Amino acid sequence: MGKTWLRDYIIKRLIYAVIIAFGIMTVTFILIRVGPSSPADKYLANLAATGQDVSQVVAAIEARYGLDKPIYQQYVDYIANLVQGDWGWSFSTSMPVMQLIKTHWIYSFQLIFLSTIFATVVGILIGIYSAVRQYSKTDYIATFFSFIGISIPNFWLGVMLILVFSVKLGLFKTYYDTTLPLFSLANLKALILPVVTLGTGMLAGYTRYTRSAMLDNLRKEFVRTARAKGLPERTVIGKHVFRNALLPIITIIMFDLGSIVFGGAYLTEIVFGIPGLGQISFNAIFANDYPVVVAITLIGTFIVLMVNLVTDITYTYLDPRIRYD
Amino acid sequence: MDKLVSKIGKNRNLVLVLAISLLSLVGVLDIFLVDKIFAPIVYFYIAFGIVLLLYGVYPLYTNRRLTRYYLDRTKRNRLAIFGLAFILFLILMAVIGPFFTLDPTAVNFEEKDLPPLGFTIEQSVYDAETGKLVRVSVPSTIEHPLGTDNKGRDMLAMLVSGARVSLQVGLLATLIALILGTVIGVLSAYLGGWADNILMRFTDIMMTFPFFLLLVFVIFIFGPNLAIIVLVIGLTGWTGAARLIRSEALSLRTREFVLASKALGASDSRLIFAHLIPNVISLVIVMATLSIPGVILAEAALSFIGLGDPTVPSWGTVLKAGQQTLDTAWWVAVEPGLMLFLTVLAFNFLGDGLRDAFDPKSGL
Amino acid sequence: MKVTNLRTYFFTRRGVVKAVDGVSFELKRGECLCLVGESGCGKTVTALSLLRLVDSPPGKIVTGEVRYDHLDLITCPEEELRRVRGKEIAMIFQDSQSALNPVFTIGDQITEQIKLHLGSEEKETRRQAISLMTEVGMPDAERTMDYYPHQLSGGMKQRVMIAMSLSCDPKILIADEPTTAVDVTIKAQIIDIFRNLKAKRQMSLIFITHDLSVVAEIGDRAIVMYAGKPCETGTVAEILRHPRHPYTIGLINCLPDASVTTTRLTSIPGTPPDPIDLPPGCLFQSRCSQAMPVCVEKEPLETIVSERHTVICHLYRGEP
Repeated sequence: MGKTWLRDYIIKRLIYAVIIAFGIMTVTFILIRVGPSSPADKYLANLAATGQDVSQVVAAIEARYGLDKPIYQQYVDYIANLVQGDWGWSFSTSMPVMQLIKTHWIYSFQLIFLSTIFATVVGILIGIYSAVRQYSKTDYIATFFSFIGISIPNFWLGVMLILVFSVKLGLFKTYYDTTLPLFSLANLKALILPVVTLGTGMLAGYTRYTRSAMLDNLRKEFVRTARAKGLPERTVIGKHVFRNALLPIITIIMFDLGSIVFGGAYLTEIVFGIPGLGQISFNAIFANDYPVVVAITLIGTFIVLMVNLVTDITYTYLDPRIRYD
Repeated sequence: MDKLVSKIGKNRNLVLVLAISLLSLVGVLDIFLVDKIFAPIVYFYIAFGIVLLLYGVYPLYTNRRLTRYYLDRTKRNRLAIFGLAFILFLILMAVIGPFFTLDPTAVNFEEKDLPPLGFTIEQSVYDAETGKLVRVSVPSTIEHPLGTDNKGRDMLAMLVSGARVSLQVGLLATLIALILGTVIGVLSAYLGGWADNILMRFTDIMMTFPFFLLLVFVIFIFGPNLAIIVLVIGLTGWTGAARLIRSEALSLRTREFVLASKALGASDSRLIFAHLIPNVISLVIVMATLSIPGVILAEAALSFIGLGDPTVPSWGTVLKAGQQTLDTAWWVAVEPGLMLFLTVLAFNFLGDGLRDAFDPKSGL
Repeated sequence: MKVTNLRTYFFTRRGVVKAVDGVSFELKRGECLCLVGESGCGKTVTALSLLRLVDSPPGKIVTGEVRYDHLDLITCPEEELRRVRGKEIAMIFQDSQSALNPVFTIGDQITEQIKLHLGSEEKETRRQAISLMTEVGMPDAERTMDYYPHQLSGGMKQRVMIAMSLSCDPKILIADEPTTAVDVTIKAQIIDIFRNLKAKRQMSLIFITHDLSVVAEIGDRAIVMYAGKPCETGTVAEILRHPRHPYTIGLINCLPDASVTTTRLTSIPGTPPDPIDLPPGCLFQSRCSQAMPVCVEKEPLETIVSERHTVICHLYRGEP
């Protein structure tokens, strides 16, 4: 037994993740090539709209993107570029895509980070309380609100919050200012509504998961043993029950990150004008700036891949039953 | 009558093939010869309806005890009933609404920014006489019960149009996603070995893409056209279904009754159709009900960003317009979002209720 | 400990289940009392009621008094009860697999209790835990401390449960069917462990079982229960040698006798009554070979047969 199993498992998972990463890049490549208009076409359309001479540019593009080379060569070049960090040139902002991402990712991160903390803490607490006091009024209210929270379209929630607080009540009118430091008071104030918007959907889900995980475990026999030992009730719940419920909760939270949170963050950034990657992607779409859109899709996917990897390893490490199998 | 029904039921597959062929024939004639009496999608709905009748309603009809059992359990959940009622109302609205409402695309600047019934709003209106902006009190009118937007389009009409879009997208895209997911899931579970491995790796890859980002990406590439949107949502949203169905099918495979059946000498296809599929069906129904809201929201979100079909007013596009006029015409933002919210809520209630009803362990 | 007229009912949607309906007994120091009966007769619920461990939404201790050390465990405040639980009165549950928490090590689970009640230091508690495990016959106790429950076999888990319950040197140990889920060889070992414990620690035992052979080996006194009510109480020797209640007689007859060759095993005909829909009169009458007309009408009262041997049955009404 000993500790090498963990190392082996991590290595195995890493290799697998790399394979998936290649799969992702391949799928992206296929989608790009299958599309009716190539990246170059969109750029050319932009240029032509501004009345410039196109022919020279066409040649240059073909050379740069290797569009005259056979497909498999293009594929190899594509992968090579991605791996080396050359993610293309953003036409609309006149800078390398990588630089664009580097300057803006932090804002998305901040939004997601704060929302996750908000949703996790509040969600888990409410979930635990709801489970312990099942069928009480608080439980019903919490369940009802979590239903609402899950169902409400998060972009509409954002707009409604703006309507109620900014327009009608005149609060929270500040916009996010990138010239100010990240955690300046003004910026944090500007982030209140977005965090609530993004966090509500997450929170509703987390409350439900926590509640159901706790309920599952509250019925188990070891709870009775813990009580028979004379442990105070809050230790029984907080330590014994919660620790068993924690594993599935964490897993679901981390897996949710990919599917729900990124889409939500994208929309929230657009609604509130936060200059994160979602906003950048949005701008790029309407500027027909192909490489940026591709890049942001890839980044989002890679982050999800990493989160899944970390979750997997963490879960394996934490669950003793899997550990010593 | 009963005899006829049972005869049709027993030879379902044959009847289905006949019906589809007939429909296709009529459809082809309609498109190429006569002057398009029905939109192509109507044929699809008819076909879908027939499939539903033969494979959904008929088994329920013959298995009355089981059906009544499920019905009873569902009825106990009041929220699910509300959900169902709302959805039926929505369908009604979508089907007969267009006949009773104005044209949603009719622009009429005379009547712009009218508030919904019961509200009166103050607006700054340009007074031609004095050449200044005057604050006037603008009442609502019965002609536009839900008000108008800043181009004078009737809100009610747009909401009805949006309902049609949402339902169509919801139904079709979910169908595509579920069929694809089921096929892949069942195949994977059934073939096993390296086929299973490859299919699951592929599913893993597709699952890693954040759903919305992938959606935006593909629509960006292929263009914002309603048909494409439906197709893309369907082709990107199948991963969850595939996973679930595969695991369900795998677990069924080793369950006693399948083994017993095999021991009795049942052939493979019989195993699939008689055992695997019926047990998976309840799962599929629950998944469908719970996927539809996600699809509807996806379409709305796309429209909201501006990647929706510009020719068709959907709830998302109205909401987008509403965001610009929050201070002057708040209802333009509130109404479509409210519809979205209620629709999603209704499907969630219903799906939850169905899931509880189908789960034998939930002790209702 | 002195239990008086304990009644625990479960209030379910379909009706009231009288799981324990009038159990009384006295437990002396160093004595082993066995609660005997079929599954579902209420013995486990009785034990749970003693420490107020019954699941409280459906279940409720309706009346009764459990006198221990100047406290009434049924009505005393929560803190007093917690002090008693684990420290003075400990309980072992039937299914050791699900009774242990799967995410904590054995060591953690045993020392938790010691730390709680005795407040000793880390090293000291660990040492105590190891010595406890050795005492219950755990091979290689030191290493086992760091194992997780799923890594141990059934018998080992059982021993862990016993060690855990002994950790604070309780005066009373309640054991719920500790030999049922275990195979025969382990069963003998576990009975040995209990015998040693009784002797060495002067500990009182409440032993719940449906197995009369176990009762014979380890019990001092016994209560035979049926459908929530006691049928016969007395010393084990008395009950086994001179059983009075038809149910007890039936139970004893069910034990296969190795010295006689038979083709069929004896059993008591019929099944226990539906707990929600109890018939009037004596609950055993439908299966009793000696039922009389009065058995259907009235519930029997307790009759003293001899010193420390009572029976609740119409057959003995009127006997001194």
